[in-house]
Amino acid sequence: MTRTVPATLLALSLALLVASGARHAQLHSGNYQPAELGNLQQITQPEFSADSTYGVPAYPLYPPELAPGEGKQETEAYCALCHSTRYITMQPPLPAATWETEVNKMNKTFGANIPEAVSQKIARYLQAHYTPETRKQ
Amino acid sequence: MILPGERIFSRRKVLKLLGAAGGGVALSSLTLQASAAEQESSALKTIESFTGPADNSHWNSVGPYISEPQKAPLILLTDRPIQLETPRHYFTSAFTPNEAFYVRWHLENIPNAIDLKNWKLLVEGNVTKPAAFSLPELMQKFEEVSVAAANQCSGNSRSRLQPRVPGGQWGNGAMGNALWTGVRLRQILDVAGVKPGSTQVQFQGLETGGGPKGLGSHEFLKSLDLTNPVIDDCVVAYLMNGEPLPLLNGFPVRLVVPGYFATYWMKCLTWIRVVDKPDENFWMKTGYRIPDTPRGNTTPEEVKAGTVKTVPIGRMPVRSFAITPDGSAKIPVGMRVTLRGIAFSGYARVVKVEVSEDGGKSWLAAKLGDDYGPYSFRTWEMPWSAKTAGKHTLMVRATDEKGNAQPDEPVWNAGGYLWNRIERLEFVAGNAA
Repeated sequence: MTRTVPATLLALSLALLVASGARHAQLHSGNYQPAELGNLQQITQPEFSADSTYGVPAYPLYPPELAPGEGKQETEAYCALCHSTRYITMQPPLPAATWETEVNKMNKTFGANIPEAVSQKIARYLQAHYTPETRKQ
Repeated sequence: MILPGERIFSRRKVLKLLGAAGGGVALSSLTLQASAAEQESSALKTIESFTGPADNSHWNSVGPYISEPQKAPLILLTDRPIQLETPRHYFTSAFTPNEAFYVRWHLENIPNAIDLKNWKLLVEGNVTKPAAFSLPELMQKFEEVSVAAANQCSGNSRSRLQPRVPGGQWGNGAMGNALWTGVRLRQILDVAGVKPGSTQVQFQGLETGGGPKGLGSHEFLKSLDLTNPVIDDCVVAYLMNGEPLPLLNGFPVRLVVPGYFATYWMKCLTWIRVVDKPDENFWMKTGYRIPDTPRGNTTPEEVKAGTVKTVPIGRMPVRSFAITPDGSAKIPVGMRVTLRGIAFSGYARVVKVEVSEDGGKSWLAAKLGDDYGPYSFRTWEMPWSAKTAGKHTLMVRATDEKGNAQPDEPVWNAGGYLWNRIERLEFVAGNAA
């Protein structure tokens, strides 16, 4: 099974990371990297220096496998700009109207600014795979 | 990516593998093993990726266990921003270990590292002397205080609601209790000098999001009214159970708002801002609001009609949980086992926990554990033995010092907040001979 994290998405995350670093000079933040499920580590004792920086490694990413179908790519690319698509797979099956509302909320309330045609495509995709009538995985 | 569930061999797979190897000699012993494995596999189903549209029937949410920095394996809800749930078995003690404490961030850019040489807690806004305190200044210039306080996500148990609502699909494990040590918020405010006419104090931590400036997707801000008595209970904590806070729980300092839902407990607290107008940012005006009704109850119809008046969420209603036995094993009839769990209330200390084995007709008082103060988890236990073989359902109910008792009616609101219905413990008793 291959993992599909679009290169554009990684570049964008990196840009956001730099932007946030500029805002809080003391901060190194938003660092994630893909990880394997089932690979549970014990709590480790890293080689720390005695300086005043307190840090942790990159936070692990576990991208879920979204349902195959028309609109999957757009959903992965646009939704994952701000959050993991686990925000989709975690939900219970939701009515079609609720998915419409969610996509609207991302655009209007949270300023996602997804082009109208793409928003429509994402909403149709979520409705085609994540409602009580349609959800399989 | 291999899902853990895919690794579980079914009997068919075992036999298929055997056939491929061409071995017939070991068939009977392997068949026996396979048959045992098949029995077990009814308990070891593939991890579900979601529950619903019915309510989640598990105690916890259903994600896989994962490892995050400084953390024991916890249940994954989301990986970016990070939301992790504490597994059930951690809740038989009054204090939740730091490494097992649940995690809930709102925005994706959270610290991976903080340089304490540069970090300061800033007090600004409507104050006479804006201030910036380093961690050593916080630790040395103020009186050190400690409070045992339960921290619970506003959406804890959201997956119980019917109909289900969108949001983090928490089971019961978005809660924890710790001994928080630090300095009083009031002392910090007094040093900075709150100007007359100030109305609220706003808190901001180090998380940021990818959304446009001014929107809730860019920054996470929470405020409390300056007239709210809880201000005097608030602690800016640099110790959690006697240890530095894990980064994921808010290192270097976190706001502790005893009795209140965790939304106000700002992690990586860096800005304390006194304001003279009501805070109208998304996280106060739109998010984390509850219907202004008893228990925050409403209906989907009322929400649709737009007739629901809402207020910001506040104190946590009384709750109790039965943790063991957890139903994963049968209990022999007549064996005296110990029922164990915890209880807490954001309104007053828990003074009573009761158990019912007859569907709520009669209640027996459990023995309460040590009292660590009004805002702490309180453990309870009760010896109990099954008189008959078969399925048993016990109910557990807590009452606090102000007389608030858990009801047995569900809660519903659009945000999925305030669930505190009486919990049920289900297990099977088997014949002892």
